[in-house]
Amino acid sequence: MRQVWERLKTNRGREATAGYLFLSPWLIGFFVFGLYPMVMSLYYSLCRFDVLRVPQFIGLENYETLLTADPYFGISVWNTLVYTVLRVPFAITGSLLLAVLVNQSVRGVKWFRTAYFLPSIITGVVLSVIWLWLFNPSVGLVNEVLGWFGIAGPLWLQSPDWSKPALVLMGLWSIGGARMIVFLAALQGIPDHLYEAVEIDGGGAWAKFRHVTLPMLSPVIFLWTVLEVIFSFQVFTEAYVMTQGGPLNSTLFYNLYLYYKAFDDFEMGYASAMAWILLVITLVVTVIQFRLGKRWVHYEGGV
Amino acid sequence: MAARRPIGLKQALGYGALIAVALVLLLPFAWMVSTSLKGNEAIFAIPPVWIPETLRWDNYAEVFERMPFLLYLRNTTVITVFTIIGTVGSSAAVAYAFACLRWPGRDMLFLFVVATMMLPLQVIMIPLFVLFKEFGWLNTYKPLIVPAFLGGGAFNIFLMRQFFLTLPTELFDAARIDGASEWTIFWRIALPLARPALVTVALLTFMFAWNDFLGPLIYLSDQAKNTLALGLALFTGQHQTDWGVLMAASILMMVPVIALFFFFQRYFIKGFTMSGLKG
Amino acid sequence: MSGFTAIAQRIGWVLVAIVTVAFLFWTPGRDVPDDGKTHIRYWYIVGAQDDVPYHARRFNEVQDSIFVDATPIPWNEHERKILTAVLSGDPPDVVSQFVPVVKWASRLALEPLDRFIEASDLDTTDFFPALWNEMGWQGRTFALPINSTSYALFYNKALFREAGLDPERPPQTWDEVIAAAERLSERGENGRLTRVGFVPDYGNLPTTQLMAWQQDADFLSPDGRTVRLDTPAMRQSLQWIADFYAAYGVDNLKAFTSGLGSADQHGFMSGRIGMAVLDLSYLEQLARYAPDIEYGVAPIPTFPGRPTASSAGSWWLAVPRGARHPEAAFAFMRFAVQKRIQLEEVAATDEDLFPANRFAATDSSFLTSPEMEVFARQMTVAHSPTVVPLAHDVFWREFFGAQERVIYGLQTPSEALQQGEAVVQDALDRASSYDAYVRANVSLDGEEG
Repeated sequence: MRQVWERLKTNRGREATAGYLFLSPWLIGFFVFGLYPMVMSLYYSLCRFDVLRVPQFIGLENYETLLTADPYFGISVWNTLVYTVLRVPFAITGSLLLAVLVNQSVRGVKWFRTAYFLPSIITGVVLSVIWLWLFNPSVGLVNEVLGWFGIAGPLWLQSPDWSKPALVLMGLWSIGGARMIVFLAALQGIPDHLYEAVEIDGGGAWAKFRHVTLPMLSPVIFLWTVLEVIFSFQVFTEAYVMTQGGPLNSTLFYNLYLYYKAFDDFEMGYASAMAWILLVITLVVTVIQFRLGKRWVHYEGGV
Repeated sequence: MAARRPIGLKQALGYGALIAVALVLLLPFAWMVSTSLKGNEAIFAIPPVWIPETLRWDNYAEVFERMPFLLYLRNTTVITVFTIIGTVGSSAAVAYAFACLRWPGRDMLFLFVVATMMLPLQVIMIPLFVLFKEFGWLNTYKPLIVPAFLGGGAFNIFLMRQFFLTLPTELFDAARIDGASEWTIFWRIALPLARPALVTVALLTFMFAWNDFLGPLIYLSDQAKNTLALGLALFTGQHQTDWGVLMAASILMMVPVIALFFFFQRYFIKGFTMSGLKG
Repeated sequence: MSGFTAIAQRIGWVLVAIVTVAFLFWTPGRDVPDDGKTHIRYWYIVGAQDDVPYHARRFNEVQDSIFVDATPIPWNEHERKILTAVLSGDPPDVVSQFVPVVKWASRLALEPLDRFIEASDLDTTDFFPALWNEMGWQGRTFALPINSTSYALFYNKALFREAGLDPERPPQTWDEVIAAAERLSERGENGRLTRVGFVPDYGNLPTTQLMAWQQDADFLSPDGRTVRLDTPAMRQSLQWIADFYAAYGVDNLKAFTSGLGSADQHGFMSGRIGMAVLDLSYLEQLARYAPDIEYGVAPIPTFPGRPTASSAGSWWLAVPRGARHPEAAFAFMRFAVQKRIQLEEVAATDEDLFPANRFAATDSSFLTSPEMEVFARQMTVAHSPTVVPLAHDVFWREFFGAQERVIYGLQTPSEALQQGEAVVQDALDRASSYDAYVRANVSLDGEEG
């Protein structure tokens, strides 16, 4: 007891105490709202359970079926991986480019910022209606524009080969603006004197980008790479409202299949097992990213 | 300063790029606005008609007729305002603990926080619903608001933490040596510096809370408590949907978001007034 | 620093002002007025009806012991809304839904109605058998069918004449459909289809499903344990569909149908599709958007020597388990399914509802045209789409999944059907074993003391 008190009196101890105090909202929130649902879903993953009736404990059967017998498990994992690999690099570079564009100090740029942000406030049914129309192979705008350049557009959402790229494109358009804000805020945080230093050394625009902008933005780029991967692994809404997993299961993403299992087939236990497998996969990928991130992310603080 | 000079080639190129991208991003909006002024016949015309012969402003009037728009606007505002206050405040505090303070078990616990984001909501939803039922919180705004005050979600904590990490530690250590309490450092030094991140979190939270459909749908059952997103959903049916009215309602629902963004964007411009602070 | 404080203060004041104003106008929760009536809550799904349904309005007018508070719930995610309402322990007293009842009944989400039915004057033979058979599960009744729709073949007489076909003799067999479709179809100069006689999945009822019923395909063994998807009838149906798509090219047909819209741009109304299986509500749409089109309504084509078939999909009313006033709820439901109320409802709405009560559906005030008589006849050969009750959604996902693989030429009908059959069988085995477990461990007696 006395030892603990002594430690608390030291700076380190005081800092730790403050740490736990600042953490307390999350800790309380986790124990009140977070823990129970997580534990229950873990328990359900070992059961047959349809939400309304009593769970039947079956051990690891759900996991075994998923990993060995369910043909859609592999399909949905593959679809989700392809989607993630297609989407994350474009999402990061796309939003970064938008941010650089609206970071120019020209008159009226704030109108452009608002304009670029606009698409990200459209959600739900309206979003899907707009894009179903845009991607319509016969009368949609996308193929019409491609036609001006003599390109015969594909069937997009109705083609097993083009459905995933179509959804990626829609995702870029619809959330690019929201991501742009984050990059814009980070760009604005880069002090001018760093650029001036490059100028004094005779560096041009590329040198500024390479030696100032990129290193200074690396924490934000890292953050959004990690987040985009987590979100892409959970892609759901677009496929749910626009393609329902088709054609030929080409957009049957992991979370969509999970949803069908949980709420169409009422196999909540099976869906819970899927959820925990996804958690493990995502966690592994994220830990790898954190390890790799230490090599290239540049923190001013470096705690 | 740049604007006073005659427009050079570089600026012309800049404007060109800005305008080209804006056109691509805004075209669907033009379609939305045009659809909101059409009757059902004109909406499905092939090829699409951009400017209908007769503008149907009635679609907008009908939105107010078919749902208590102002009441729902009020409800949505209440939920959104509380969610933002809770999320911004609590996620900043928690992120500060993870980024600027040293305590045992910190990095492991942070990974744990991030991991809570990785479990799909679909399987959490039902046990959470049962929990709120046990609390007697069904048909109130509490399930939608209270969790925001307790951490504000792993996503926002993560976002804030990464921002705090970019602040120089010497600043905090200097304040500590001067005898400032951790609360003072957080409130007087960290938060003002984190303004761009705070505004970003507030904006993203606003968009989420404003548009949230599933939460209000399952937790609220009195029509008088409905939100705009719920009201909007009543315009779409299995077979028939009044697209003109739906688009008009969507646009009305977006107006506050656009206005707020336009107003708030100047707060993350010149985010760091004290330049020279970094580096 | 002072700049920030000033801004923070300003924002703070704005927020305080907003919150204060908001609270000023705060309305408390719904209070049930103390008028001596039993108030029951009725959730209806928007999309079926726009306003408060006629049967609810009328019920409130004609008696004064029960009052129905009707609340619309969104079509989008309505199943989750009802699910969580049942889970909350305080669900509404009546919900309207559509097939399958079993999905809810098998999970103990609905109150059994048998004791109310016995105590009432309801004659259950009033309903179309295909609709009534869907209302039960394991010997009990859980819902009352309220209205349905019926399907028939629409064909464009003007196009028939133009193509040299007899406009008074619509195709009766699927082979005749192929022949007529070929003559009706047209291609533009670049080879793109500009008009197609018939597209199997364009319309309201998928052709494969019809064909399977027409050949008496039964998808489940009599003991309810074995799924049968890979049957001669199904193989033949899939082959027919695959041949049809192959004749025109899958991508060509998909590109063609994607150019069709709704309302007057609908394939049939715009004259770009010659024949389609559509539901009753299409009559009203034709009258509104294309009053000049010359069309005929005929029974759905079938295979030579086989009776035609159709699908029954019914909206129903039920009492969720745990509802406060099941008795009053049943009284309201009983009222809504009467012949007289059903006929009044059909007359009062501009939607083309098909009454579940067969005496209403065969009444002369309902059968006002030869077309309506075709729809009424189709209803008598309707089959329930609930074919594998405990694995309903899996079954239809696999059914159409198999069809898609065959259309794209990835698998033969037999391979596709075997693959689907295995998946449905697995799901059914899991569901049956769980059902048996629940029945062994929980008293299923819904008739509480």
